Amino acid sequence: MDSDKKKINRRTFLKGAASVAIAGSATATIGCKGKGLLNSSEAFALEFQEYFKKHYRLMTKSERTKTVTRLEKLAKLKQDSIINIETTEPGQNVLYGYAFNVTRCEGFMECVQACVKENNLDRRSNTQYIRIFEMENGQMSPDQGDGKYFHMVPNEGHFYMGVQCFQCDNPPCVKACPTKATWQEPDGIVVIDYDWCIGCRYCMAACPYWGRRFNWNQPEVPKEELNKKQHYLSNRKRVRGMMEKCTFCIQRSRKGKLTACAEACPTGARVFGNLLDPDSEIRFVLENKKVYRLKEDLGTDPKFWYFID
Amino acid sequence: MINTKISNNRRGGMKNPIIKKYLFYIMLFCILPGIFVLFSTVVLWSSEQGVASRVKKITTKIEKTTQVETSIPLPKNSVKVMVEYQGGTFFTEARKIEIKRFKCSSCHNNQKVLIKNAADISHADIRIVHGDKDNLLTCNTCHNPDDRDFLISSKAYKIDMDHAYDMCGQCHFRQKKDWIGGAHGKRVTYWAGERVVKNCTSCHDPHSPKFEKKWPETYSVPLK
Repeated sequence: MDSDKKKINRRTFLKGAASVAIAGSATATIGCKGKGLLNSSEAFALEFQEYFKKHYRLMTKSERTKTVTRLEKLAKLKQDSIINIETTEPGQNVLYGYAFNVTRCEGFMECVQACVKENNLDRRSNTQYIRIFEMENGQMSPDQGDGKYFHMVPNEGHFYMGVQCFQCDNPPCVKACPTKATWQEPDGIVVIDYDWCIGCRYCMAACPYWGRRFNWNQPEVPKEELNKKQHYLSNRKRVRGMMEKCTFCIQRSRKGKLTACAEACPTGARVFGNLLDPDSEIRFVLENKKVYRLKEDLGTDPKFWYFID
Repeated sequence: MINTKISNNRRGGMKNPIIKKYLFYIMLFCILPGIFVLFSTVVLWSSEQGVASRVKKITTKIEKTTQVETSIPLPKNSVKVMVEYQGGTFFTEARKIEIKRFKCSSCHNNQKVLIKNAADISHADIRIVHGDKDNLLTCNTCHNPDDRDFLISSKAYKIDMDHAYDMCGQCHFRQKKDWIGGAHGKRVTYWAGERVVKNCTSCHDPHSPKFEKKWPETYSVPLK
């Protein structure tokens, strides 16, 4: 009788211990993924499928639509925001080019503000793709300029020089990437597949222009300020530990719109257009103005020219 | 004696002595020009590299409407510019629709005005900061005193307010040339489709065209 009781007791104990261990480890694993996930099994399933998607360039058209609808659903379930992610293809006969008029820029920084809003940049760490340098007349390189001015502009005896990703034709960042997460599109824009970026920051080190940004923290964008018109390669949601960069507002430019910075510029210092169109403004600037590029001797061949009136 | 012996040995060891005789000429006429041609092709080839020079060779015209798939609407308030740019006709933003009290002739028509209303409808708020400091422009430098709805050029031609670029371009002819080509001013919203650019008066206040000093819209955090 006594031994019987003891036997049962041990068995129940082991059973209980095992079930507790299973339940505990399950809550631990799921708990890491966030509390909201268990509430909606649909979000969990979608999140799970996200791990098995391909590289953007290897996806077929239907796979792209599937991925995009999944991301849109996830945004609806998790952030409760209705977004529209596009996968617009590059246009035929299009190669984007940019020109910046150093004589006209007055340093109002409206381009920076527009860029932050358009591209859903992290408000917490103040990530900005564009940097405007205040330079004394006669200075040549932004190394010597002041990138953190805050006073009434334009300042006497100074000029302003905007620096951002130059979408090099021979991009060193693409060569540096060990996972092929970044590449150059046929229309000349260097883009990143955020889900394939491992955050090693080799590209950041390879870029001679400081054109890339790293997400040191989980990017935070206020819900009411979120730009809902997104592109898979540009301003969709990023997470901590991913590289990001200026994409010439791919969600706008591929629909024929000017980039956000060019549209916001109040002085018309920014010229954006198609290099392959001989009638375009950018070609006029290249052929009729004194143009120069930054660190041209490095052979990176940027598609971003500075010009003077 | 020893020297001749060695040279004899050498001559004997050489299988084809004729080549040695012509070696100098072979080098002079074949190898050196060969190296020269190689270097010059390398130099030529490398100087042709780069987007700018590659792109400048492309001169085939592209249809304005085929560059992107989306169809781009022409804005409502646009007028056709009377000059052509390198790609043909283009449009600019209309001005008259922006002026609050247009038509001007609705007030400027020799009708009597009550004195108590005069302050509201006068142009006392306009300060002219345009022209030389000692020799500022006056109202009638640009506005036509005989036909109030129009501007007047220096040669007394009527200029429509929508075509203000003709007025400004009389002095600012360099800016006008750049504006027509695309180096001054900017396009409205779209880089593709029909070319619609901002008018002079869209950005500049014609009465005081210089941009005023102001605080920057935002600030940048230090890099390091």
